[in-house]
Amino acid sequence: MLEECSYHYLPNGIRLIFMPTDKFKTITMGLFIYQELTPKLAASNALLPSVLEKGSRLYPDYLTLQRELENLYGAGIGADIMKSGEKHILTFTMETAHDQFLGENGRLLDEGMSILGSVVADPLVVDGAFREDYVRQEKNQLIKDIRAMLNDKVIYSLERCLSLMCEEENYGVYRLGRIEDYDFIDPSGLYSYYRDLLARNPIDLYVIGDIKHDKVIEAAEKVFNFPRHGEQMKLPATEIMRRIDKVRYHEEEMLINQAKLVLGYRTYTGFQDDLYCTLQVYSGILGGFPHSKLFMNVRENAGLAYYTHSRLEPHKGLMAIASGINYDQREEAREIIDRQLEDMASGNISDAELDNTKRGLINQLRSKQDSPSKLISFHLDGSIGGRTYTLEELTAGIEAVDREDIKAVAERIKLDTVYLLRPRKGGSN
Amino acid sequence: MTGNYRLIENKELQETLFHYRVHPGMDVYVLPRPGYQKKYAIFSTRFGSIDNCFRVEPEQEFTTLPDGVAHFLEHKLFEDERGNVFDRFAALGASANAYTSFTQTSYLFSCTANFEESLQQLLDFVQEPYFTEQTVQKEQGIIGQEIKMYEDHPHWRVFFNLLEGLYREHPVRRDIAGTADSIAEITPDLLYRCYNTFYHPSNMAVFVVGDLDPARVGNLVEENLAARNYRPMGAIIRRHPSEPVAITRQRTVQELVVSEPIFLLGFKDMSVENIHGRDLMHREILMELVLDILFASSEELYNDLYKEDLIDENFDSEYSADINYGYIMIGGETKDPDQLYQRIMEAIAKFLKGGVSKEQFERHRRKILGSYIRRFNSLEFIANNFLAFRFKGTDLFQLPSILHEVRLGEVLALAEENLDPDRHAVSLIVPPGAD
Repeated sequence: MLEECSYHYLPNGIRLIFMPTDKFKTITMGLFIYQELTPKLAASNALLPSVLEKGSRLYPDYLTLQRELENLYGAGIGADIMKSGEKHILTFTMETAHDQFLGENGRLLDEGMSILGSVVADPLVVDGAFREDYVRQEKNQLIKDIRAMLNDKVIYSLERCLSLMCEEENYGVYRLGRIEDYDFIDPSGLYSYYRDLLARNPIDLYVIGDIKHDKVIEAAEKVFNFPRHGEQMKLPATEIMRRIDKVRYHEEEMLINQAKLVLGYRTYTGFQDDLYCTLQVYSGILGGFPHSKLFMNVRENAGLAYYTHSRLEPHKGLMAIASGINYDQREEAREIIDRQLEDMASGNISDAELDNTKRGLINQLRSKQDSPSKLISFHLDGSIGGRTYTLEELTAGIEAVDREDIKAVAERIKLDTVYLLRPRKGGSN
Repeated sequence: MTGNYRLIENKELQETLFHYRVHPGMDVYVLPRPGYQKKYAIFSTRFGSIDNCFRVEPEQEFTTLPDGVAHFLEHKLFEDERGNVFDRFAALGASANAYTSFTQTSYLFSCTANFEESLQQLLDFVQEPYFTEQTVQKEQGIIGQEIKMYEDHPHWRVFFNLLEGLYREHPVRRDIAGTADSIAEITPDLLYRCYNTFYHPSNMAVFVVGDLDPARVGNLVEENLAARNYRPMGAIIRRHPSEPVAITRQRTVQELVVSEPIFLLGFKDMSVENIHGRDLMHREILMELVLDILFASSEELYNDLYKEDLIDENFDSEYSADINYGYIMIGGETKDPDQLYQRIMEAIAKFLKGGVSKEQFERHRRKILGSYIRRFNSLEFIANNFLAFRFKGTDLFQLPSILHEVRLGEVLALAEENLDPDRHAVSLIVPPGAD
């Protein structure tokens, strides 16, 4: 376990996870509603947090809510949707400065929790529906957000590669859903869907800070007291075993200067897999750090790229290698990247690469304990992935990895999709 | 032994900072944070992209640099005769990085083990330059790709296009990394010339934070520097062209692939050059209050614009002030930049006539105080910002006491001075074929 951590079930079945610590200046809360990720539901899931934040019964418009937060010393509320593996998680966070730095005496926990509760559990409802103008407005904003993915070409090219790669799987849907689905969402249908979610889906509530245990339970039970079904819905596991018949190639043209090459791989190794730690080490040696093979060879030795790295989606078992390059040098870049994967598979890995990567991964793990949001996301990963690791287990797991393990993981890894975003002919470059 | 130190206390945050001054004139700051796993150290020099014309006393001749040298030098310090510096940090399990801004270059690492070895490593590599024709040439390729990446980045472009529109002469108008042409002019000799000037410890500072013993850190830094036999260096004289009150152009439009136009409105602050230390921070806090009262999500304007679909949640405003430049920027993505521009200018005019209520002022003041406290969770925030404020002659730890001093009556006077319609410009990124 990271910090000391305690579990308590509220009477309605919400799980409260409390991490007492006096090292932060804040009180942090997070409430997470788990749902499965499917193309059909994705737009509704994405829309809900935005609509809820815009108006609750106590704070019926955004201005009123924001003023309340400012008076609470600029407390921050967040309402968002997270995609992780084939889970779609409605996310509500609240962070306040701790009373002891403000000459206050314990009211920030209660008031922060109460505002969070208003937004999540006490929405503004008119005739059994969310307010029509809020729903329309937030649909419009989210559709703009979906389109705005285009603005950052690094993010855009990665998203495109993974969604093309998984176009026949639930994972292929974008975090904010499909634009065309927004047309079919109506305010009363959305409200009854939300009531179902609140009643049936798993919900976790996190609290981190220098607070007494019984105060936290008292505040949470008072605020989150809505009735729920006794039986919670079981969400399906993420599909990670899809076979590849042949590598797919996609090229897209755009008025840009730099080409983006993204290679999508399947690792067939999920979060619960005994080789999970090995996969971390594999990707770390290949492209997770400035000492990694990709950085050293594509960037430092060949000078072809400024950024070049590999990243894992641990729950879906995907790996992506992304680089920003000159279009004319794409084949050279591809050859160097392929050679690094061959070296990984043949065990051509130096002691320094292996040891330094393990140290780097362990450093990242330990550092998570210094941030409330990273503490939450570390713990959340266990719930999403269906296997809880302690920090010590992961550290020991990483330390134990040897070249034979890496070879075993390398044998599983298969290239699925090559995506190239290239500058339009006649443009610069 | 660094027996001498000064304590800097901050009552609101309940923090005590240790300040050492080591030979030959470098400041070392250590902030103990019990309970943290991570230790973070940053080693910074006052050498940024705007320091492009300088001499060192008693020289008479000024040296003028092509754009992008400070950033180029930052990249090149990571390589020496023994190879790649990242590898040495990696062997210690530490994570190293660096960044260059308008006014400073910073080298940093964080670690959860081997702290003292990592700190030695940081001090060593920054103080041991190694530049050759061959390594400089290779870096031109890598930075060339970095520049290309930013050329495709609409939010980066809209920002620099606005600075270009506001500033006629001051080098803040030019990209920190330079251009493909300007970095082609960089040679090993030029890098050594800059290194020997700006990387003298009297022009640098160190900030270390984490669960550690301040005296050990102070001693380690002092001994590392002592072994290098530094001699005192003359003062660095930086020359900046005098910036006229008038802007370059009112409107700059660039086409890039974007989902909808990106709009940024800016004002040039002409007074910062004459304001220093505590007064400068006072001005920054007051300006943050002005912008917050005008544009925050708790105010009417934001909510009206949002409902009318003229802005999204990323609509933002900020004030940035340094030793000899300052600017205000307001904007975000919008479907109708002309309409948004109108509405913002009208709101400013109305604000200057109507004023601010006591309730608004106090509410935004509370918000700034609480947000400040929250940010002290992050070791990186504290260290990076402490040195940035220190280099411009202000003190991050003074924020709560200055925030307490600012008066409602000062708000309008500063708004009137700094939101002067005669010194504003607009920058726009539009989809190809849209304008």
